[in-house]
Amino acid sequence: MNGVLATFRRELRAYFFSPLAYVVLCFFLLVSGIIFIFLVGQLNDPRSAGGPPLGFFFRTTWLLLLLIVPVLTMRLISEELRSGSIEVLMTAPVTEGQVIGGKFLAALVFYLFLWLPTIVYALSINLYEKVDWGPVASGYLGILLIGALFVSIGVFASAMTRSQLLAAMITVALLLLLFLLSLFGELTTSDLAKKTLEHLNIWNHIDEFASGIVDTRRLVFYLSGTLFFLFLASRALEDKKWR
Amino acid sequence: MIEAQNLSRRYGDFTAVDGISFSVNEGEILGMLGPNGAGKTTTIRMITGFLPPTSGTVTVAGKDLFESPREARRQVGYLPENVALYSEMRVDEYLAYRARLEGLSRLDLRQAIPLSLERCMLTDVRHQIIGTLSKGYRQRVGLATAILHNPRVLVLDEPTVGLDPKQIISIRELIRQLGREHTLLLSTHILPEVELLCDRVVIIDKGRIIAEGTPQSLRESWTGNPGVRVTLKGAPADAAATLARVPGVVAVKPAGDGSWVLECARGADSREDVFRAAVERGWVLLELGRERGATLEDIFVRLTTHDAAHDAVGAAEAGETPQEVVS
Repeated sequence: MNGVLATFRRELRAYFFSPLAYVVLCFFLLVSGIIFIFLVGQLNDPRSAGGPPLGFFFRTTWLLLLLIVPVLTMRLISEELRSGSIEVLMTAPVTEGQVIGGKFLAALVFYLFLWLPTIVYALSINLYEKVDWGPVASGYLGILLIGALFVSIGVFASAMTRSQLLAAMITVALLLLLFLLSLFGELTTSDLAKKTLEHLNIWNHIDEFASGIVDTRRLVFYLSGTLFFLFLASRALEDKKWR
Repeated sequence: MIEAQNLSRRYGDFTAVDGISFSVNEGEILGMLGPNGAGKTTTIRMITGFLPPTSGTVTVAGKDLFESPREARRQVGYLPENVALYSEMRVDEYLAYRARLEGLSRLDLRQAIPLSLERCMLTDVRHQIIGTLSKGYRQRVGLATAILHNPRVLVLDEPTVGLDPKQIISIRELIRQLGREHTLLLSTHILPEVELLCDRVVIIDKGRIIAEGTPQSLRESWTGNPGVRVTLKGAPADAAATLARVPGVVAVKPAGDGSWVLECARGADSREDVFRAAVERGWVLLELGRERGATLEDIFVRLTTHDAAHDAVGAAEAGETPQEVVS
């Protein structure tokens, strides 16, 4: 547990000390702000379809994750491998799993920190019209779950290479693949493939979460997926020793 | 304190370390000496648990490194060859992070950090950002983190590489002080360092141990027979033959410019007889002195130099043909 906590604290600090994190934060707030402006326009249009007021917001803003997560996670382990600090880290009485866990949690917490200011959007809508907080909460739950899976994929990619750039590119490739599976599911004519890919359809998942549906199958999918990639990441890190 | 048994490590087809066994006794400073690429760093990485060996075992303070890695690693403080620190952190923050990683409690941490800072003379720079420190100071930060959890063994991989002479002296002094309280394994390719600091030396080359002992015993066993250097004015023609007949002289080697090096029987001092022989013949003695015994450096070079070119030159100097050397 010490290992997880120590790595977590140090990584989280590192985020707040790095200029890159602030650039990501600004970019995220800018784009999510623009989306919010559209959302307000949509809400004011009497012709627009009904539904939870923040549904549109979650449905679109999550796409930013494809760009943001690779940038947040690329440094995590690649930098240790490149600089050689991995050597003192892995000779301390900690396991690979603890190091991966600590770094993952730090990235996830910083990721949630990005989303923190967006609560203001919900609050400001609440000033004019009563917001139903249920779908807002489940929307954020969806953001947390998808984020956790994406971050774990990023951690895995970062554990595979000492180059940050390569780590980011592998992450983007894996995330895009996952994202495209949603589209393939809609295109395919095979029934079996359609049904299988439906369970991997992140578009639909976020739609569900944003409209207040919390399906246990989604919980299982995201949690097991996250653990799977974290497991792969710790194996990748262990594997570095044998070469 | 450290027992390494039959350690081997292969990278693909390349064998970096080939069946090394040695032990570091409690309280001693063991120097691991070898040219670059001899397998020192690989050996050290296996002892600290960073690299798993292809075969062999390591025990630290009685704990097997692979069966109980946590307990064994807790006993080891490690300063790697390239001290990589997180450059955006402050010195005391970094130490706090390392202490937590070692599993020190909050209470222990509050005592251990100022103590390490003081022992490594870092108290003045404890609030500085690591990225702004000189290499000498960074090396000390590395040492400070290595002793934080008060390990019984310190493993230092080339601790003075890349430092300026002044920094080297201060780091060596620090190492000597640490050696009083910890068992120390020190790897280096710098010979004076070994002579200055180490109680015992292991010489490694091409992944094998080729010599082991105290610096003194190594010097004695490799010095060979005592030698005498003679220089005669005008270099008389029959000098070599005459000198060879001097009592106690085993061999005569010409050293050019009318000089000869006489190899004497062990324990013999033939200088007086050489003098008498010269007087008898009426030769003018320009120089007569004892040949300097082998230094650790000579031994090291002799043990680790094995390229064909050098062997051929050595053979030619000794008046032998290369073929004879090969056979």
